[in-house]
Amino acid sequence: MRRAAAIAAAVALGVSGVGADQLVPQPAPASAGWRELAWPFPRDGWPAGRAFRCEGGGCDGTELYVRAKRGFCNCEGGVADDDEVDRVADLDLITPRFAARAPGEAVHVGGMRGRARAYDLAMADGARHTATGIALSRRCDLVVAAAQGRGDANAMRHAALVFLKTPEMKAWMMSALDGK
Amino acid sequence: MFRCVLTAAALVFFAGSALVHAQKQTIGAPPEASNMKLVGFNDLQARSAYQPTIHHQGDRWIAYIGHHGGTDDVPAPVNPMTGKAEPNGTSIVDVTDPAHPKYLRHLPGQEGKYESGGAQMVRVCDGKSLPKGDPNAVYMLRTFGSEAHEIWNVVDPANPVLITRIGGLKDTHKNWWECDTGIALLVSGAPDWRTRRMTQIYDLADPAHPQKIRDFGLPGQEPGSTGAVPTELHGPISTGPNGNRVYFGYGTNKGGILQIVDRDKLLNGPKEPTPDNLRYPEISRLPMSAFNGAHTTFPMLDMPVTEFADDKDGKTRDIVMIVDEAILNECGEARQMVWFADVTTETRPMMISSYTVPEASGQFCQRGGRFGSHSSNESMAPVYYKKMAFIAFFNAGVRALDIRDPYHPKEVGYFIPSITQATDKRCIPVEGGERCKVAIQTNNVETDDRGYIYIVDRANTGLHILELTGPARTVAGLPKN
Repeated sequence: MRRAAAIAAAVALGVSGVGADQLVPQPAPASAGWRELAWPFPRDGWPAGRAFRCEGGGCDGTELYVRAKRGFCNCEGGVADDDEVDRVADLDLITPRFAARAPGEAVHVGGMRGRARAYDLAMADGARHTATGIALSRRCDLVVAAAQGRGDANAMRHAALVFLKTPEMKAWMMSALDGK
Repeated sequence: MFRCVLTAAALVFFAGSALVHAQKQTIGAPPEASNMKLVGFNDLQARSAYQPTIHHQGDRWIAYIGHHGGTDDVPAPVNPMTGKAEPNGTSIVDVTDPAHPKYLRHLPGQEGKYESGGAQMVRVCDGKSLPKGDPNAVYMLRTFGSEAHEIWNVVDPANPVLITRIGGLKDTHKNWWECDTGIALLVSGAPDWRTRRMTQIYDLADPAHPQKIRDFGLPGQEPGSTGAVPTELHGPISTGPNGNRVYFGYGTNKGGILQIVDRDKLLNGPKEPTPDNLRYPEISRLPMSAFNGAHTTFPMLDMPVTEFADDKDGKTRDIVMIVDEAILNECGEARQMVWFADVTTETRPMMISSYTVPEASGQFCQRGGRFGSHSSNESMAPVYYKKMAFIAFFNAGVRALDIRDPYHPKEVGYFIPSITQATDKRCIPVEGGERCKVAIQTNNVETDDRGYIYIVDRANTGLHILELTGPARTVAGLPKN
């Protein structure tokens, strides 16, 4: 029931209706929305997170996977560098073959700070996708997100960050970091 | 009838009290123990402790104990011997008389809190055993926080002298040092590698002049690689030139890997860190469940197994004990425990058994702090080797296992120290804040050749020196005490 409500809320959220992502100035098209999907990956060491697909706007077709990873060793330093993003951001769930396009950048969502980095993905079916990996830390825990699709990596990152900054997603991330 | 009801009520009350007692440790309560007893104690200046290494030094026994960094509340505890606040480093304690350990020296480490500071790891070799060492020296190899490895001459353990430093790193951890060859497998974070921890191999036969041999890790971790990054290293254990194997443990509480490596190929094979060169010395890997990591990979080769004594083949087995590390407080993750792998057929290693402390035996998920395994003793001295293993199990203290039949390991003793005023709290996030509890956090354990067992606490409680009692002594073949 709560899940259904969350899905409805996610669908209803147009990215233009939320606070702008301050690090990436370009505005997202007003018609974009995120529809929740079933978590598409097999069980691994961390509990499943939430998956969404962007519908409409500049991120149409992009999929976003978000989850908490509790028990991250670097409690003091947080997400130290781009290598950390390569390791933790769940890109390997999408494909083991990915390569960074450029150095990453510092980002923040609410009180969490971290880094985001753009990647080229070689998919199993031979297709080429782009992706953004995001890793944010809260003390000894992480929230990671990976957005992937055929669109522009910068637009993808912008749309993903705007969505992660919505009150509903921030509340869910905090709850997931608390182990709920 | 009425008397029966009263008795039942009394029993329920008693059981309830015992349960409450079992769930919460209190200052002043006695330790919980079975077939193990306390011999001596030192508070280690209330510093969070990691690796203890016990060295027979002349006619003395010296314990070298590595520390994690300080805490939020006390980043640099005061050393009562100097009166100064000192970042956690290495404690040096004379344990010749284990009933009266004598604190000799605190050697400060890197400033920083928790895993970001201190000097967690320590190994010790005599100069006379190293091929090119000063025969009059005793060398202590320690980490210096995340940034360096250091070698000190501790021939006078109260007055260590710095010999050399290998710096410029982004992390360090659980090293291995062969005292008869000088080969050191240093867990390091080389700045250009894609992982926080990998192996830097050095020839430290002459500790004053370290010779780099090569960098090593799993393909995908090396500089310039792309794609998925394999699980980071925790620590290796080598069987030296005779055994010609190195057992690498990767992972902490997730995605563990036991990697079996040909030592000769590792040291003498092609050294450029290309994927092919990194694969060259590998004999096999045993990937573990995504739920478990490999903190310690302790080899026990050529173990006779009584059950197989009459079999035409396979009477002895090569066993590796793998110990996971619990990370999250109050059972916030999958159980981290102990696994036994039969690696006799090296290219097809297989898990054969496991061990965990039964949670219900102490309501450990409710006590506070971490519950689960962390590490084992790593001494291969005959007193316990291939007979008993000691496992640090955080709030369940240290557990003594009879491993003579590694297909059926059995607990034969345990010791959970009492908490003290120094024992630090452990917290979990709750709605709008955090909730904290105080519990023992037995972090690491080591044994000496005399049979004493040394356990140290991550939550600042100190060093407890223990001995076996009762049936547990019989398992080890020790005389009755």
